[in-house]
Amino acid sequence: MSKLPLDVQQAIKRQAPRLLKKDFKRLVEKDFRKLKQRMIKEFLENPITMEIMGGPSSPNLSGSLDGVTNLFAFIGFDQGEDPIGPILARLEETHIQFDKLITASSSKMGMEFKVTLPTAEEIFAITPLPWASGRSWAQGIERGLSGLGYLLRKNEGRSGAAIQSRVKVRGGRFKNRPYISAFLRKYKMKFEDLK
Amino acid sequence: MKAQFQHNLTSSFFMWFDNFLLTKGEAYTNTTGEFFYYDDTLIDSRYTAFGSPYKQWVSDSSIAGATVPTGVYINGNLSGRADGVVLDFDNGRALVSGASTSDTITGSFAVKDFNVYFTNDTEDDLITENKYVVNSRVPSGPYTYITPYDDVAPAIFLAASNLENKPFAFGGMVDTVVNMKAVILSDDPYKLDGALSIFGDSVNEGVEPIPMTGYPYTELGDVKDDSYNYTNVKNGYTEEVPFYIKSVRTSKLSDRARKALANELYIGFVDFDVQQHRYRFS
Repeated sequence: MSKLPLDVQQAIKRQAPRLLKKDFKRLVEKDFRKLKQRMIKEFLENPITMEIMGGPSSPNLSGSLDGVTNLFAFIGFDQGEDPIGPILARLEETHIQFDKLITASSSKMGMEFKVTLPTAEEIFAITPLPWASGRSWAQGIERGLSGLGYLLRKNEGRSGAAIQSRVKVRGGRFKNRPYISAFLRKYKMKFEDLK
Repeated sequence: MKAQFQHNLTSSFFMWFDNFLLTKGEAYTNTTGEFFYYDDTLIDSRYTAFGSPYKQWVSDSSIAGATVPTGVYINGNLSGRADGVVLDFDNGRALVSGASTSDTITGSFAVKDFNVYFTNDTEDDLITENKYVVNSRVPSGPYTYITPYDDVAPAIFLAASNLENKPFAFGGMVDTVVNMKAVILSDDPYKLDGALSIFGDSVNEGVEPIPMTGYPYTELGDVKDDSYNYTNVKNGYTEEVPFYIKSVRTSKLSDRARKALANELYIGFVDFDVQQHRYRFS
């Protein structure tokens, strides 16, 4: 097949991005929405998320406490609290911002865009421990949590399952699990792969 | 086993922490007073124990303004280490060789606002299980000795938790980050806020690595070689790569949670990420 003349190629490169702007956006937005939905679904299906959303009567789905109690009671949340809500809201806020057109100066053609995926630090900042607001329970899942919240709730007598358990749960019984950092790292790479 | 990275970090961090609090916060009170005889079967029989009402005393002579004792007055005469006096800074007492139990012992020293301990206890145990004697720095009397060996509040308990190595450079250099935790038990909220503020501002500080051999205390709680000066000790290790305080987070036990405790202490937490670029097994 014969090649297009150079001036035609250059004209296409120059004009195509502007003409195809809407198509670029539509295609990327479609993939973005799919990926975002998949991200939120995966987050909601994470055993840690499910266990905490299950409240004080949830089984220890994550296996982080050897089934002795569950994360909701262990961390020390109050019945009716929704600790997952702020994370979910922040994930829902993930959106795509289209930036400038990639024009003829580059070998590629299209549009630059940014995805406002939260960082792990942002999530840690909105997930305070109920008994020490400067610490994050979500980070604690990854690095280790003491059983202090559980014991304090027991003394306070306000929790659901926690007060009923006679088994002594200590920080040493908690097994760290990968959670927010690994999850966001994975989706950061996936969003970076959007084309 | 020879000392490893974690051992050296632990001892270096402990010394740095104590010095940082005393220096930045002037967190001590100079005191003069009587010491009280008590029987301690755990010490060598040639020593007689005379305890002050407070522990721990400041042993670091780099702390400007703090009275670091070099001896005690026995029946009005100053006696130092050369006269058979051992100063147990940790337990706030003097162990006097050949003394009579009826001797009158007095002395001057600086007592720390917070005792500093290294611990393997979990936070749960520290806060809910352990029943601390509060060694108030403003006692109402009657004055007597403070019992040795047990940890007393106000105190700060240090512990190392996670260590993570990530590849950093060709040749096997790793980026090591260790989470160090401090649990602060204070008898008043002002002091708690002060300690949290000091260590909240410690981000980006460097901590000189001081090997275990540089640890300044003897088995009796006195300082090695009759004196300890943190600045001088750390200046002996300036060729080592310092530990770097990469991030610090401070928090306080909420008032609601505090009410569930059996004691009246105010509790805070400091979580440090301490970083060093290093080669493994060094």
